[in-house]
Amino acid sequence: MAINIVVLIKQIVDIDQLKTDPNSGEPLIQNIPLRIENLSKNSIEAAVQLKEKNGGKVTGIIFGTEKANSAMKEAYAMGVDEGFIITGYKGNNPAYTASIISNKIKELGNVDCVILGNQSADSYTGLLPGLLSTELNMNLLGNAVSISEEGGRFKIKRVLDEKDEIISAEKPCVISVTQEINQPRLPPVLQIMAAGRKPINASAAGAGNFETPKIVSNIAPKSDRKRQLFEDMDKGVAEVAKAIRGEMK
Amino acid sequence: MKFLIFSEDGSNICGIATKLRDNGEVYGVTIEGEESKCLQYGLKEVYALKGRPMGDNCFKALNKIDLTNFDRIFISSSPLGRDIAGMIASSIRSIVITEAFDFHLEGENIRTKRFFFGGKTILEEESSAKVITVQPGSFEPEKVDGNTPVTMADLEVSSITLDQEVEKERSGTDIESAPILVSIGRGIGKKEAIDQIMPLVEAVHGELSGSRPVCLDYKWLTEERQVGLSGKKVKPRVYIALGISGQIQHIAGMRGSKTVIAVNKDKDAPIFQECDYGIVGDLFQVVPKLVSALKQ
Ligand SMILES: Cc1cc2nc3c(=O)[nH]c(=O)nc-3n(C[C@H](O)[C@H](O)[C@H](O)COP(=O)(O)OP(=O)(O)OC[C@H]3O[C@@H](n4cnc5c(N)ncnc54)[C@H](O)[C@@H]3O)c2cc1C
Ligand SMILES: Nc1ncnc2c1ncn2[C@@H]1O[C@H](COP(=O)(O)O)[C@@H](O)[C@H]1O
Repeated sequence: MAINIVVLIKQIVDIDQLKTDPNSGEPLIQNIPLRIENLSKNSIEAAVQLKEKNGGKVTGIIFGTEKANSAMKEAYAMGVDEGFIITGYKGNNPAYTASIISNKIKELGNVDCVILGNQSADSYTGLLPGLLSTELNMNLLGNAVSISEEGGRFKIKRVLDEKDEIISAEKPCVISVTQEINQPRLPPVLQIMAAGRKPINASAAGAGNFETPKIVSNIAPKSDRKRQLFEDMDKGVAEVAKAIRGEMK
Repeated sequence: MKFLIFSEDGSNICGIATKLRDNGEVYGVTIEGEESKCLQYGLKEVYALKGRPMGDNCFKALNKIDLTNFDRIFISSSPLGRDIAGMIASSIRSIVITEAFDFHLEGENIRTKRFFFGGKTILEEESSAKVITVQPGSFEPEKVDGNTPVTMADLEVSSITLDQEVEKERSGTDIESAPILVSIGRGIGKKEAIDQIMPLVEAVHGELSGSRPVCLDYKWLTEERQVGLSGKKVKPRVYIALGISGQIQHIAGMRGSKTVIAVNKDKDAPIFQECDYGIVGDLFQVVPKLVSALKQ
């Protein structure tokens, strides 16, 4: 069956490059480049693979800012067919994000499945799968490490603490994926060039009346580690053995 | 105040109940068979849900207990817990705080702490949140006298079907309570190399743990041994990191360790910023030397 897939893509500051101020502990966000959030990349890959296998279409949605074009172009190069950027994102507010995204999905209509990350790599919230499944009235298949489709049913494998499960549900479904599901592809140059020419649909988000928590502080935890570094292995081993013995008493 | 705590694992209810019980009446919800784990922690009542738990039917069962009756709902964070938290978030229009590892009730508000930017910062927030997901193991459980009564409730049939179930090999280890952890990363290269690490684990009377790739991608260790943001939060007296680069998501799980020792062949590995003693070198040379030094 050709599948009409929506994939949700979040753009974040590159947290791997993010440093915190050594004195105040404040994150130094200025001039950190933006990139596609890790799990969103896994989601794109999963969506494109599902389309390659079954036929259909992948539609990408970013609730972000004016700077999201680069992320959508990268998504195009990876195999996303059509992209919608909704601007007006101001920060992590799952309820607001879910209402904006679910409105867009309802507007698109005829969606068989919505694929997204189980927890985004920066905010680590993990609420969108549950929020969207309720708001869109779709079955939730959570934490997939593989996805398949057969006769209008989606089937996923998920890994829980005590067991692995294969679960399935009638379409339409919200499917959240974990980072183990795949290795996102690096698109070839030709595809990246073609993606640059492809149009992107853009619109602005409607206002939402959603409370946000008051931020008391957001700083790096203090580290009082000794940081004694030994390049002389034997000296290091002697010191470390002493330290371990001290703790084994 | 009235609080509700949900966890499919009864033991995860105990610590949160201990933290809350002086502030009001605490109710628990878990899955049938798990309720016996949380009956000595001062809860007013525990509901045990009968049937196969999935997100949708647990959410319906919680709604039947009537979520509007409670001032705050705490959910122990897990794949199931987070799915349910999202569903509740859309039904009661309230702020939801996720992955909190600490909280304090402040009158009508709640102050919470969680990691942000992938673990690089701690975000402290104050809000009127009614729903809070809590990282397992955040609060020490303490027993009290008396026994909590249990009410059974039925789970409806889920619209998600379970087609197949594969029980996993579990070693039954509890890395959170080990006084010394020897933790391995991708740097050990292959599963067979664990044999070369075991003499050190034995010499320090410790337990073996690992980074996420080692436990989840390569399955060299079972998942219950994973340390990190999405794994266990450990606080051993000594944490020995072998061939672990020290990405922030890993650090978030071992930051509470008393003494941290790191062995890495890369002098610039970020783990050296988070250790007390670091040895720059090949772990396969360092480990045997360390074992014989410890035996002296
Ligand atoms: C949302 C999210 C959640 C995550 N949660 C977790 C989590 O809970 N836990 C976790 O660990 N990770 C987690 N990660 C993954 C994390 O970002 C890193 O990818 C991971 O920690 C890296 O594991 P590693 O250090 O074993 O491997 P690598 O980063 O590949 O490091 C291997 C290290 O071994 C060293 N090395 C190689 N050979 C030798 C040798 N012979 N002797 C000595 N040193 C050697 C190398 O110099 C290198 O520093 C998460 C990521 C995301 C996005
Ligand atoms: N602003 C956003 N725009 C599009 N998709 C998003 C956005 N925020 C989160 N997502 C998707 O939802 C997943 C889980 O995010 P979260 O629930 O915020 O942890 C991410 O991996 C993305 O796939």
